[in-house]
Amino acid sequence: MSQSFRQSQATLHTWSGLLLGWVLFLVFVTGTIAFWRDGMNRWMRPELARVEQPMRVLAGTQRFLERHAGDAKTWYITMPSAQTPGAQLFWIPQPAEGAAPRRGRRDNQALIDADGDPVVARETRGGEFFYRFHFDLHYVPVIWARWLVGVASIMMLVAILTGIVTHKKIFRDFFTLRRQKGQRSWLDGHNATAVLALPFHLMITYTGLVTLMALLMPWATVANYTNEAKLFETLFPFVETAERSGRPAPLTDLTRIVADAERRLGGPAGFITVSDPGDAVARVSVTRAPTSMLNTRTPGLAYDGVTGALVWQSPPPGGAAATAGVMIGLHAGRFADTVTRWIYFLCGVAGTLMVASGLVMWTVKRREKLPDPERPYFGFRLVEKLNVAVVGGFPLGIACMLWANRLLPVEMASRAEWEIHVLFLGWLAALVLTLVRRAQIAWTILLGSTGALLALLPFYNLLWTDRGIINSILTGDYLPAGVDMTLLVFGAAFVAIARRVATYQPKARRARRSRPAPEAAIGGWEPAE
Amino acid sequence: MTLLTLILCIIAFALFGLSTHAHHRRWFGGTITSAGKGVLRGPAWLALALGFVCAVAASGWVFGPILWMGMVMLGAGCVFLFLNLAPGRFERSK
Repeated sequence: MSQSFRQSQATLHTWSGLLLGWVLFLVFVTGTIAFWRDGMNRWMRPELARVEQPMRVLAGTQRFLERHAGDAKTWYITMPSAQTPGAQLFWIPQPAEGAAPRRGRRDNQALIDADGDPVVARETRGGEFFYRFHFDLHYVPVIWARWLVGVASIMMLVAILTGIVTHKKIFRDFFTLRRQKGQRSWLDGHNATAVLALPFHLMITYTGLVTLMALLMPWATVANYTNEAKLFETLFPFVETAERSGRPAPLTDLTRIVADAERRLGGPAGFITVSDPGDAVARVSVTRAPTSMLNTRTPGLAYDGVTGALVWQSPPPGGAAATAGVMIGLHAGRFADTVTRWIYFLCGVAGTLMVASGLVMWTVKRREKLPDPERPYFGFRLVEKLNVAVVGGFPLGIACMLWANRLLPVEMASRAEWEIHVLFLGWLAALVLTLVRRAQIAWTILLGSTGALLALLPFYNLLWTDRGIINSILTGDYLPAGVDMTLLVFGAAFVAIARRVATYQPKARRARRSRPAPEAAIGGWEPAE
Repeated sequence: MTLLTLILCIIAFALFGLSTHAHHRRWFGGTITSAGKGVLRGPAWLALALGFVCAVAASGWVFGPILWMGMVMLGAGCVFLFLNLAPGRFERSK
């Protein structure tokens, strides 16, 4: 391979990694947390007991819906499990004559708890926030966000591939980590996080693009399907529903239908749709839980809502649909058991570290060559400030948000939104700090306060909630305990890095501005969530 | 079986790691010959292959390969951290 080719790939690697690197960092952080989406859904509602008997919750759900939405057009019920806070449900009311269909969210949804009663818990988006932010960001129109994330993912894929081409030595130097060697240590750390989890990085970036493929590359569907409804039907087969008859008929017991469906599907039920409940034409469809299959587009069954007889089975998926479904399944890791989920999470942490160390390395490399280290050129200062503000600031925002989840008054209006506003306020504060303080001080303050905030959360839980570490472990409920312990570890890691940054003395020229100690990346602990 | 997969992956990467010059010197002293490398790397590949068998036995043909890939990464990560952070037997004091 000619040197110039390698050189051009190196340039491509640098710039495709840098330009949207900060977006990638956000996507990696939130995506990594979103592997524990259900865990965070539970952790952020500490009032709720673990679901022990899903069918009991389902029975309560049916009671609730019959009482509050007996004449609805459709009910949607997410089947509860020990991992979820309860049964999340929403319903669509009968369309009023002449009125446009309403897209409300407040008054037509509920959460049913382990006892089968509607939940009285703090209002929060829970883990759903991280999941949505991962591809929808926040405060921006969804379509822009997805384009931005999509383009960033393409650049990520380019960065990974060019990284492999440029640095083919990374495989030979697989086990190498030179410590306390400045730039070389940064490079080794960057390589380690990249190569150790390389299969994950390739998989997650490629399949991430697959989840957005209809948006990024619509031509295949445009060429093959003139009718969008037909496409939808091919991808998500569903049973035709009859016109509402107006003859009332009681809905059969949903638990009986779900038990039958779980037997026929060969796995737990995930999602239940009831159309025209209380009418003679009522239909109940049940799909298998994506937690039990690799393909995220799971098979379904439909039952007559009055007699409970099986009336429809989803056709086996086509090759292309199954391929896409499996790729999305691999990306989201919904199937993952505890061990696999931890591996997903750790790989996500490695990816976050890779992005963060890559961003910081851009300045590390260039700092040596600055003509006047006291007054770096604009681009250098921009990257440096952005690094501190994003890599240091965003985790602080998340820590603030988790505290807001605990501390905001329960009766507060639009409390769930305010939790998120607090995240951005915390992040804004980090940005301001970045602008008024030099990098080393800003890094120290941001990393240190993030670490302190994260590490103190488990102690708050221990004292003021029912789901502190000790209580959770004693009752065998390891999910909230796991979140707490992870927070402790990350808190300690952030504080440790902050200490290293604070005590770092650049070796060379004396009055130089400094960066976090290069050895900070070595332990694998870097600003990341 | 899951645990066995991880153990096999750790063994495999420990052997791979010790077949590199730097780590060989840190742990055994002296340099490694190319024959010595082969002695370490052959069993390493074998352990990886056995790990695959165990993973499939543990989780079936759909989830087994995913589990194996995950364990390969996890095993490599464990070995990487250990080899680099633990003080080697023949390490020169810094």
